Amino acid sequence: MLDSFVTATLYLADGVTLMYLMLGVLVGLLFGIIPGLGGATAIALLLPLTFGMEPEQAITLMGGIMGSSAIGGSVTAILLNAPGTAPNAATCFDGYPLTRQGKAGLAIGAAATASSLGGIVGVVVLVAILPMAKSLVLLFGPPAFFMLAVLGLVSLTISNNNMLRGLIAAALGLFIGFVGYDDMGGTLRFTAGIDYLWDGIKLVPALIGLFAIAEMIRLMVEGGAISKVDRNELGEVKGVGAGFKAVFKHPRTVLSGSFIGTLVGIVPGVGGTVASFLSYSFTVQSSRDSSQFGKGDIRGVIAPEAANNAKDGGSLIPTLAFGIPGSAEMALFLGVLVLHGMQPGPLLLIEREWSLLVLIIALLLATIASACVIAVATKYLIKITFIDSSILIPTVLSVALVGAYALEGSLGDVIMAAVFGVIGYVMIRLDYPRITLVIAIVLGGMMERNFIQSMLMFRSDWTGFFRDTTSLVIFMIIVMALALPVLGRIRRRVRNANA
Amino acid sequence: MKIKTALLSAVAGIALMSGAQADVDPSDTVSIVVPYGPGGGFDRAVRGFAPYFSEALGGANVITENIPGAGGQRGSTEVSRSEPDGLTLGIFNLPGFALPAILGEEVGYDLRELSWIGRLESDDYVLIVAADSDIQTLDDLIAVDDLIITSTGYGSTVLAALQITASELGLAEKDPIYLSGYGGTTDAIVGLIRGDGQVSMAPVSSVTPYLESGDVRALAMSGNQSLFEGVPTFAEAGYPGLTPLNLQRSIAGPPGIDDATLAQLRSAFMDVVQNEEYLEYARSIGMNMSPMNGADTAADISSSFEFYERFTTSLQNPN
Repeated sequence: MLDSFVTATLYLADGVTLMYLMLGVLVGLLFGIIPGLGGATAIALLLPLTFGMEPEQAITLMGGIMGSSAIGGSVTAILLNAPGTAPNAATCFDGYPLTRQGKAGLAIGAAATASSLGGIVGVVVLVAILPMAKSLVLLFGPPAFFMLAVLGLVSLTISNNNMLRGLIAAALGLFIGFVGYDDMGGTLRFTAGIDYLWDGIKLVPALIGLFAIAEMIRLMVEGGAISKVDRNELGEVKGVGAGFKAVFKHPRTVLSGSFIGTLVGIVPGVGGTVASFLSYSFTVQSSRDSSQFGKGDIRGVIAPEAANNAKDGGSLIPTLAFGIPGSAEMALFLGVLVLHGMQPGPLLLIEREWSLLVLIIALLLATIASACVIAVATKYLIKITFIDSSILIPTVLSVALVGAYALEGSLGDVIMAAVFGVIGYVMIRLDYPRITLVIAIVLGGMMERNFIQSMLMFRSDWTGFFRDTTSLVIFMIIVMALALPVLGRIRRRVRNANA
Repeated sequence: MKIKTALLSAVAGIALMSGAQADVDPSDTVSIVVPYGPGGGFDRAVRGFAPYFSEALGGANVITENIPGAGGQRGSTEVSRSEPDGLTLGIFNLPGFALPAILGEEVGYDLRELSWIGRLESDDYVLIVAADSDIQTLDDLIAVDDLIITSTGYGSTVLAALQITASELGLAEKDPIYLSGYGGTTDAIVGLIRGDGQVSMAPVSSVTPYLESGDVRALAMSGNQSLFEGVPTFAEAGYPGLTPLNLQRSIAGPPGIDDATLAQLRSAFMDVVQNEEYLEYARSIGMNMSPMNGADTAADISSSFEFYERFTTSLQNPN
């Protein structure tokens, strides 16, 4: 291991390799910043270009992209309330209110720092548990996946201020998740004879609509610029340094976010969106003073950002242990490996240890490098929020719609994004939580599939969920998550009665 | 003066070439449609093939076009409906793309009508159990009463292969549970290792890493020759009906490509698959090369269709 580590480090210390890394970082940041495009799109576009490269150069390039796209995505989430990539959706909650208060610099500084730290923790945890990777992956079977989806939905609803609206949004999301071809039942559901709907409603166009487009509709109605603080009053743009410091003032939030991110990352198919949301809601639940969340609490930026970069480390575990991709980006990354003659599977780590260490170190360097790039660029990026809506709206709309099209070159995706734009705006006006809808779309399919699989395995005996250890442990966490707020309320009432 | 001569000869050259019957010119762009996103087995096969094919076509531009959607049907339909000028081709798998038609679904293409250029890969299927399983032989498997089979979803080739195998082994009467719905072949293999079910099946290329790592054990495999020591073929184990079971990846164009163009494409294809440099590259990216010329591929497709049609009743959705 140490031997390979040295080889990998020396390989990366080469000028040409570092150039590939920086290229990856810049592309990743750019694709992250543009709503709709993300790390997965960047990898898909660059994949054919790696054809003539050395395998490790390709790996470095891809590591650069994977390590940086989420940081880029946080910028748009904070400045425009439109997450650049799906995992940044939770960053909007507090990042955008901070921007409106003229504290965008603070939020971006904190997001970049928290992302880097999360990335580092994720990689450290990855290296530490790599020897046990196989048994860890084998802990999660269909019953555990099902319980995990339930946990996600439960924490979604309890973290909403208005539980009824949260439940309605979640139900709508689950319903949307049903659309498309069901390969267990072998039937088409709610496709209305439209071929496009066979694949179901895809997350990215929905996300572009719900956030980027809906936000632009709102801005159009409100008029003016995003920042409600007068530019002249603000004077010098400051706060990046303060954001950096703010992260170190909340080490607990960083650590819990990183661990939640790594852990959720291990579970294939759940991905960063759920990781960052769980981290956010855990931070809200476990904070003594949670009154400022949603109004511009810096911890609300730190928690999801730490989680969504830590998840990269976690999602490498199933990939390295068994060749199962932990996320869409990882799936494409496996394609890069195959293209360069490496067969994903349990032997990959043994046969190509140093190549994979190149990836791990590249990921680490990429998170740090991209945070530095963002910190330097913040000064200029913040200017976006002072741009008048008559210029900003057409620009963001065209970029968002092109992003939706670029995904698969399908016009259906563009239409879907527009439809969700209207849905998103209606939700803003009626004050329904959009992220609840998004996560329900992510979890709905997984929950249903794993429920049916579990029931088949248990031969229709539902007590099986409590005989599977992992599933039982997650169930107990669900019970705790439900009981804690109630217990807190009782304790407060008792304290008030005593006072 | 020199320039004028050069121009004249170029014009004359172009006129000559367009007069000839070979319809794919070096100046043309041939796109090979991959009906899935970049990074998968199909994408890999085409991207590796394209530069050599370009060379064999005298330098025509050969590009890989990903048209994912509807489990591969969107891209395949698009190829089938394209202009039969030899400039749009696609990669198809069998039995994957034949299944919907065999199962009575409406599809926008008929594999038997396509203009087949040639076969690249052919992968036999391996019946596997977890390494620590009590099941040692096919007979042990047949003796199990409450069998759970891990598989990908309905419409996938792995599920079809499993259903055909179960039918031939006489397992179908025991009404095994098909734990279908895993996201991919790898997920189904890991489900097997975890103990979600007792048996599964996968193509040789997918299962080899797990056999080598010792996580799974093979009971038998399809094809005429076993690739793994101590593992019998189905024929050797007494089930010759399962020998034709395999997964093929072949290149084809829309129905009705004219004979001259088809002949040109087929010969370019054969040039590629006889090129040692290409074969070595293909092996290095893990392809299970088993080249076959266009005419044989077309004949093979028809006979495979008949093989799968025999099992139509066994191939209904188990869940």
